[in-house]
Amino acid sequence: MALAIEAEGIFKTFRSGWWKKREKEALKGVDLRIEEREIFGILGPNGAGKTTLLSILCTLLLPDRGKVQILGMDGLHDEHEIRKRVNIVSGNANFLWSLTVKENLHYYGMLYGLTGRERETKVDTLINLFNLREYQNIPFDELSTGIKQRLSLAKSLINDPEVLFLDEPTVGLDPDVSIRIREEILSIHRQKGITILLTTHNMKEAENLCGRIAFLKEGRIVTIGTSEALKRMVRIGDRLKVEFKGRIQEDELLRADGVINFTISNSLCEIVVDDGERRMGSLIALLSQSGVEIKKVTLGQTDLEDVFIEFAKGEENPDPDRR
Amino acid sequence: MSSLTLHRRLIQIWAFVFKNWIIAKRNVFTIFEILFWPVVGFFSVGLLTSFLELDPNKTGFILVGVISMSVIQVCQIDVAYVLLYDLWSKSLKHTFIAPVQSFQLILGSWLIGVIRSFFVFLLLSIFSSLAFGFDLLRPGIGPLILFLLGLFLTAASVGMSVCILVLLFGYMADVAAWSFSGLISLICGIYYPVFILPFPFPQIAQAIPLTYFLAYFRSFYGFNEGFKNVLAWGFGLAGLYVVAEAILFKAVLHRARKTGVLIKLSE
Repeated sequence: MALAIEAEGIFKTFRSGWWKKREKEALKGVDLRIEEREIFGILGPNGAGKTTLLSILCTLLLPDRGKVQILGMDGLHDEHEIRKRVNIVSGNANFLWSLTVKENLHYYGMLYGLTGRERETKVDTLINLFNLREYQNIPFDELSTGIKQRLSLAKSLINDPEVLFLDEPTVGLDPDVSIRIREEILSIHRQKGITILLTTHNMKEAENLCGRIAFLKEGRIVTIGTSEALKRMVRIGDRLKVEFKGRIQEDELLRADGVINFTISNSLCEIVVDDGERRMGSLIALLSQSGVEIKKVTLGQTDLEDVFIEFAKGEENPDPDRR
Repeated sequence: MSSLTLHRRLIQIWAFVFKNWIIAKRNVFTIFEILFWPVVGFFSVGLLTSFLELDPNKTGFILVGVISMSVIQVCQIDVAYVLLYDLWSKSLKHTFIAPVQSFQLILGSWLIGVIRSFFVFLLLSIFSSLAFGFDLLRPGIGPLILFLLGLFLTAASVGMSVCILVLLFGYMADVAAWSFSGLISLICGIYYPVFILPFPFPQIAQAIPLTYFLAYFRSFYGFNEGFKNVLAWGFGLAGLYVVAEAILFKAVLHRARKTGVLIKLSE
């Protein structure tokens, strides 16, 4: 499949201060390849460089070094052509305060050169798509945060973009509103098949929406993969808690397929396995065969949050041998 | 360029007219901008000329200055507003991620500025005729159009300077939207001939197009400030500044993409 976004060796340092110059290295050599129609997530803690990277890719910011290709065009020189085919959604949506929902959509439609009739049709379609009809004549500054964000999503589709950049689209929203916004993002992707690049520090969001995820930390991409692959990569594994009676053969347990580690204290054995659901049956059988009486088994599965914590701790270069 | 492409480009220009118009019509301060302050300024100076019992030509000299200042102030603020509205609403990045050219942004906002300031001009012309018996049409329609065009171009240049400062200094620069035109009017002699200014201000005044446009229009009321080829100098300088600022605006926008100002001002 063709690449929608390609970045190679992106460096960016911000300089501030008039008298005493301060420097902050935001990106330190980022490489990224995102296929068409993919939902790709950039996950990382605050200050990791997520927004800087997204801003470079959507042509709002120039890197100090590196190459950017968006839809086959040079991201550093063909910005005018690229802007016709991309759009952006930010968390904490901000638009012209006294323009109504409908006027804001018309204004941005005009910025993309939509003629009268096509603009009317487009604005009407977007108002319906995002259930904004009852708010269409309300000025932006009187809208709730959730409705503002829906307007932001609607605005982002005004030019039928082929690539959509979402910068923390659910930040600051109530959980129920966040869920709805995520559903709308998935729905946009299903219906339009556009490429979506999403930055977030919300693990659930990345896990629910993204096909692949890149972990960005201190300006570097630590790793890229599907959420499942990332969980396997850090090998923090799933936790199988077994309450038992009897004596466990420790060397036998350590040799069992999929077992990463285990601890035993009194009548509780906590086994870390690569895939809890897959290994649970065989491990219970193994323990039972060795004469252990099993009282209770619980499975705690790894989620992306565990992976995030692991990488944020300093897993800069995951050891390939551990994969 | 196909007719559809041209149509789309004109719509992009119209977007800025639409934005400034909608915001202005919902903003009570707009009424002050185009009615209250120009009218108050006009009458306070006009009544002063009555009190001082100035002859009609001197009264005309001063009223031309007052009206010019109001026209420039109202027109330039619309050009400045095109970025200031985005700055205040923190939506700057949404404007710049759209495929608009900087000249479309300036041209659209200038158009609405011309419309609003022409309204101010009409209003003050009527008042000057009714209250002080001053006839702004005495020079004729042609010179009046040239004079207004000069004022509008000067306003475009002042407004563009504010936009450039906004992209350079962000929120710190919005004060320039109200102070620049006042400063220029002071140097260009709205109430007096520039030669009475102390050194080096008469020399600085000669680098500002408004000086020549005022001299041109006042010449029809019997004042000669000693400038030659005033229209050529006025339009030459105004054109030069508009072109230079358009180039500078593009350069500053490029710098804003490098420094991250567009992102910072949208947060």
